[in-house]
Amino acid sequence: MEHTVIFQPSGRRGAVKEGLSLLEAARELGVDIEAPCGGARVCGKCKVKIEEGFFEKFGIESRAGHLSPVLEEEKDFLTAKELADNYRLGCCAYLQGDVLLFVPEESRGAKQVIRKAVRERPFELDPAVRTYCLQLQPATLQDQTDDYARIQSALAEQYGLPAGLAIDYPVLQNLPETVRSGNWQVTVAVWNDREIIWVAPGQNEDCWGLAVDVGTTTVAAYLCNLRSGGAPYISSLMNPQVRYGEDVLSRITYAMMNEDGLKKMNTAIIEAINSLAAKLAESVGITTAEILDMSIVFNTAMHHILLNIDPKYMGRAPFAPAFKSSMDIKARDLGLQIAGSAYVHVLPVEAGFVGPDNVGVLIAEEPYKQDSMMLLIDIGTNGEIDFGNREQLLSTSCATGPALEGAQIKFGMRAAPGAIETVRIDPQTKEPLIKTIGKEDWYKDGDEPAAIGICGSGIIDVIAEMFKAGVISSSGRFNQKTASPRVRKSEDGKMEYVLCYARDTAIGKDITVTQGDVRAVQLAKAALYVGAEYLMEKRGAPKPDSIVLAGAFGSYINKESAMVMGMIPDCDLDRVQAVGNAAGDGARLALLSRSKRREAEQVARAVEFVETAIEPDFQTRFAAAMAFPHSRHSFPHIQHILDKIPKE
Amino acid sequence: MSEDRAAELFARLKDGVINYDEEAVVAAAKEVLAEGIDAGKAVFEGLVAGMEEVGRLYEEQEYFVPELLMCADALYAGLDVLKPHMEKKDLGVTGVVVMGVVQGDVHDIGKNIVKMMFDVAGFTVYDLGRDVPLEKFVEEQLRTDSDLVCLSAMMTTTMVGMKDIIRKIKEKNPKCKIMIGGAPVSEEIAEKFGADGYAKDASNALKDAINMLATLRKLQQESA
Repeated sequence: MEHTVIFQPSGRRGAVKEGLSLLEAARELGVDIEAPCGGARVCGKCKVKIEEGFFEKFGIESRAGHLSPVLEEEKDFLTAKELADNYRLGCCAYLQGDVLLFVPEESRGAKQVIRKAVRERPFELDPAVRTYCLQLQPATLQDQTDDYARIQSALAEQYGLPAGLAIDYPVLQNLPETVRSGNWQVTVAVWNDREIIWVAPGQNEDCWGLAVDVGTTTVAAYLCNLRSGGAPYISSLMNPQVRYGEDVLSRITYAMMNEDGLKKMNTAIIEAINSLAAKLAESVGITTAEILDMSIVFNTAMHHILLNIDPKYMGRAPFAPAFKSSMDIKARDLGLQIAGSAYVHVLPVEAGFVGPDNVGVLIAEEPYKQDSMMLLIDIGTNGEIDFGNREQLLSTSCATGPALEGAQIKFGMRAAPGAIETVRIDPQTKEPLIKTIGKEDWYKDGDEPAAIGICGSGIIDVIAEMFKAGVISSSGRFNQKTASPRVRKSEDGKMEYVLCYARDTAIGKDITVTQGDVRAVQLAKAALYVGAEYLMEKRGAPKPDSIVLAGAFGSYINKESAMVMGMIPDCDLDRVQAVGNAAGDGARLALLSRSKRREAEQVARAVEFVETAIEPDFQTRFAAAMAFPHSRHSFPHIQHILDKIPKE
Repeated sequence: MSEDRAAELFARLKDGVINYDEEAVVAAAKEVLAEGIDAGKAVFEGLVAGMEEVGRLYEEQEYFVPELLMCADALYAGLDVLKPHMEKKDLGVTGVVVMGVVQGDVHDIGKNIVKMMFDVAGFTVYDLGRDVPLEKFVEEQLRTDSDLVCLSAMMTTTMVGMKDIIRKIKEKNPKCKIMIGGAPVSEEIAEKFGADGYAKDASNALKDAINMLATLRKLQQESA
């Protein structure tokens, strides 16, 4: 008898024989779990967490009771709290029913490469929180002015701040001691020229803030010096909510179907941000209580869940959010452990699925300051598209699915060492050249095989190259007459291309690109293309003057490949730019500049959202956009490449 | 008029659908009528047989959504010519189906493909469209006394609404069969929600619908 086993966050799943251990199941399904002892129950490394509940998306009921009882050996390695939280050792738990497991970061074999580097952008340094060093007159019998008033008047006199600034109550609790322990010298942090949120004894040079980008899959945090505005310290981890659902919709469903679902996901993300804050604070030698400001961007569903607001109505048409405007919330109200009185600035929502993350992209790229027509595509599990210039900006969102990130692809994987990220195929011989993450050069005979799968940028590359080499036709169908042993029928009778023979991989089997993979990419790229097409049409501009590809893996996409497959419309390739994680950059800009916060609010209100899925001819256009590069539209800028495609 | 001639025209209808050649289908359909060949037979042995092959090609991933939609256009073009001349035969199936995409969901390509198959089969289809309020399904089922209600959802968030619809319809009319479909739907979900059948995706829906049609066609051939 077999049971369904699902591993998160990788999303690997399959039917596994009853009685096998979870570690064996992981191996069978290609999930890399740390087990230095090889499953001898002595190292305690293969910790996994069993998530209980009914998971609509997979149609399974996962229970801790679907595994063999806890063994004595496990009790040596797992704390009482872990045991209560359904943690098990993979080598000790045997399968008796369906289970959904979460593999914690430390138990994962291959560490993910999270690509959330920052891009330098010009801005005016004007953070919402500034610190001021004050020399106060000590209280005397002649001058019995209270401590708070003393600070208020010093701020007004020495720095020209408005008189009578407010103060957050918890700051008052320690005020007498703070003021006196610094010998009447204090450093005061003021939020938005309005409220005193922090007072410390003596002179403090630095002032720190944290910008956070909560992605559906990855959470990135940037610790920034608010005084210098210099390069940030960066740390990131996988969004721990992945265990409750890989995409936005399955997480919303989890919140709808489980009474404590929202709370669980909320706790997971708050803890994740707290751990990033702690890690970053440590790296610069401060405590988290010295982080004085925070800004956050996310998609609208992540936004609701992080703010503990029921995301239910975000999951269905008409996708109305609870609120759209930007918001300043006390960090303590959210359980975020930074300075006790600090605020969290939540960037505004544009519309429904177009969230603060897209606003972040907009304030980073500033299409609203330009005359030329810019097309902005933020590629993630959900694609967001903006088009326009200073006169008018339009936006839409489209369900691209996770194919472009490597999920739903037979040998797809996230960006980690061993992932094939660049591909070239010889149009004559159909022989490929591959490059994997972690290697400088193209793989060649004699190298140690490293390939274990294909990541997002590799998938875009390989599909475009297969098309250019004539392995697949414009309709996406395999050319069965291709004279190459690499083009073959798989065991299930479907066509596939062997990108890497078993001897050249680190997984002992052929890495192939299947007809199904091609189809999944066609759906995703057509969704993006049609979204852009509608926006350009409604904006009355036939072509974009420039294209910006944003998104964590956006910087690694080969733009020519993206255009050859028709993921983006025709444009001068020199004016197509990959900018990386622009949403995170936007969060950082909002942290460092109040005028950016104002711009964010303005642009979020000004952008006009277009719902493309309900356009009457959506179906027809979607179908036309599935062809490579398109069944009707021309691509003059890459015509020379298309002309070289071998004809049958 | 020979059997051979009929078979030749049916083959042309079938190939026309497979090759999504609207003009060829219409031309063959007109010849069928002009030569007095049974329109119903032409639909089933020509058009539907072609669509069965299309379904197989889709299943094998040779054809994809664009081809499917073009084949559908060819099929409808033929149907427009032939359907007015089909005799209504009682096959023991009243053939009334209510279908739609559930509230909160606007993705309807899958539903449109399934609808097409029911159209072809000669079912009377009440297509409620997309973003259909839950009560509307119950009302329409009662109003039309349909044998079958088909619910579609593309998103897990809207799929969960199906459960209530199924319960309410079954309360009012326990005999009515309910089929659910869409990307997030699974056999377990169908069972949990109390549906009578499910179609995993457009491909499966098509196959299921084709299976129904094939059975129907067999019945018709036997009765002929």
